[in-house]
Amino acid sequence: MNDVAALGFGMHPWGKFPEKRLNDICRVAVEAALGDAGIKWTEVEAVCAASSRFSGGKGWGLNGNDVVEDMGSTGVPVYNMSAGCAAGSNAFNVGVSMIKSGMHDVVLVVGGEKMPKGFIQTSGLDDETDPEYLRQRCVGLPGPGFWALLTRARMEEYGTTEEDLAAVAVKAHKVGTHNENARFRQLFTLEDVLGSNVVSHPLRLYEICPVSDGAAAVVLCSERFARKKTTSPVWVASSAVATARFDDGLPRGLACVPGPDRPHHSEARISVGKALEQAGIGPTELDLVELQDNTVYYELAFPEEWGMCQPGESEKLLHAGETLPTGRMPINPSGGFLCFGEATTAQGLFQICEVGWQLRGESGQRQVPKAKIGMAQSIGLGGNGTAAVLKR
Amino acid sequence: MSETIEAASGLFAETTAGPRLLGSRCATCETPYFPRSEACHNPDCGRSDMRDAEFGPQGTLISIALQNYPPPAPTIAPEPYSPYGVGLVDLPEGLRVIGRLVSDDPAQVTVGGPVELVIASLGHDAEGRDVVSWQWKPL
Repeated sequence: MNDVAALGFGMHPWGKFPEKRLNDICRVAVEAALGDAGIKWTEVEAVCAASSRFSGGKGWGLNGNDVVEDMGSTGVPVYNMSAGCAAGSNAFNVGVSMIKSGMHDVVLVVGGEKMPKGFIQTSGLDDETDPEYLRQRCVGLPGPGFWALLTRARMEEYGTTEEDLAAVAVKAHKVGTHNENARFRQLFTLEDVLGSNVVSHPLRLYEICPVSDGAAAVVLCSERFARKKTTSPVWVASSAVATARFDDGLPRGLACVPGPDRPHHSEARISVGKALEQAGIGPTELDLVELQDNTVYYELAFPEEWGMCQPGESEKLLHAGETLPTGRMPINPSGGFLCFGEATTAQGLFQICEVGWQLRGESGQRQVPKAKIGMAQSIGLGGNGTAAVLKR
Repeated sequence: MSETIEAASGLFAETTAGPRLLGSRCATCETPYFPRSEACHNPDCGRSDMRDAEFGPQGTLISIALQNYPPPAPTIAPEPYSPYGVGLVDLPEGLRVIGRLVSDDPAQVTVGGPVELVIASLGHDAEGRDVVSWQWKPL
């Protein structure tokens, strides 16, 4: 198996860009990644794209084909991956596999999205066989309400307070303010967050992530190719994909079986476990983690579920500053989803870019000192989970 | 008097014993399902053998969310809008089920307490019909 390097990272900033086409923002990210890698478009041998649910000009979201056409059709193979919000890192996993196997030397991975306004809606189908439709029709529990159920359960179990939840958002913006690619860079006080509208009690507006437009791209290559370009590339130590287990106790539709553990995203735990195992490290050995914080809850729950700290310990680490870039367990030095908003298919790749830049020491005021190994993690609709470990 | 309709068909019923959720149970591995399932999805089950099953009426509330803003269609909400609670409920039959809470003040409902299955109004649809669904009533 060939070693895989992440040679170039590129991003179009997150925001709302009604005047731009999806192709425009993808092109900015792709050109930045190619430039960062020091290669020409014509050197790309294959494209793995996170394929959009929401846009994309040719039917149901063929982002990769649009990107290739826009950059100039060279005849390269295109793989369009669909995995909800995990699609970016799912495409990353496919790209890594193709280089590992020796099929290609240079692969471009790209994700980009222009999101419709408002909270992410359901399938839009009035179909009584669709569990998501039934959940909204018979109960009325949009995404933030689902996160609120998990959050309240944590509050009951560990005594997490509304101030603890707000402190996660304060911390996110404290680091995200230094990220030129983030959309929400303002600083918040605890009072600002607690004063924001309650969306779904106990969660407030500044404690959940809105939708954004954005694009990110990564150039992957073989060791042989990387050695021609740089003496110290960022390596892909591992990349893992999983789906949810039957018994994780998380009711994704109307009901589920309770299972042996507290309700959790098993797709996240499985993919993280596989990625750490393949990288040959333990969960406490990561210098930084970019995790999917659709809401503040996940920044508290995930590190515990993955063994990075003890159950119920996250609040203490947060208040002690240990999750800041300068702490013992840096989480989301990018500012995370709370500062970016969610451009579904691009999310997994902005995380990879952030980890890559951190490992190269290029993250400026949000830099994790001496970062050598970091992980990016995402989950997506349908019970998709991904994790990747990069090292230098 | 306005017409009453079910939010969705075949999910719940008022039986002679009281309100029940209509689901299935696999006769091989005893895994319960709600709504009804055509096949058993337990990966460790050797043979899918689905039978109709009824669940309820008793459960334990393990978490609560409040819906502080009116959700978009197809949700049926009270009018004028007032925030409602949604409960995560564990049934002794080995099933975890979500459902709206029947409560005038859902912010005061405590987690961990017993709840009872009821069939109650969610609100009215665009045609003015009263739409009913299963809900959890804190005891």
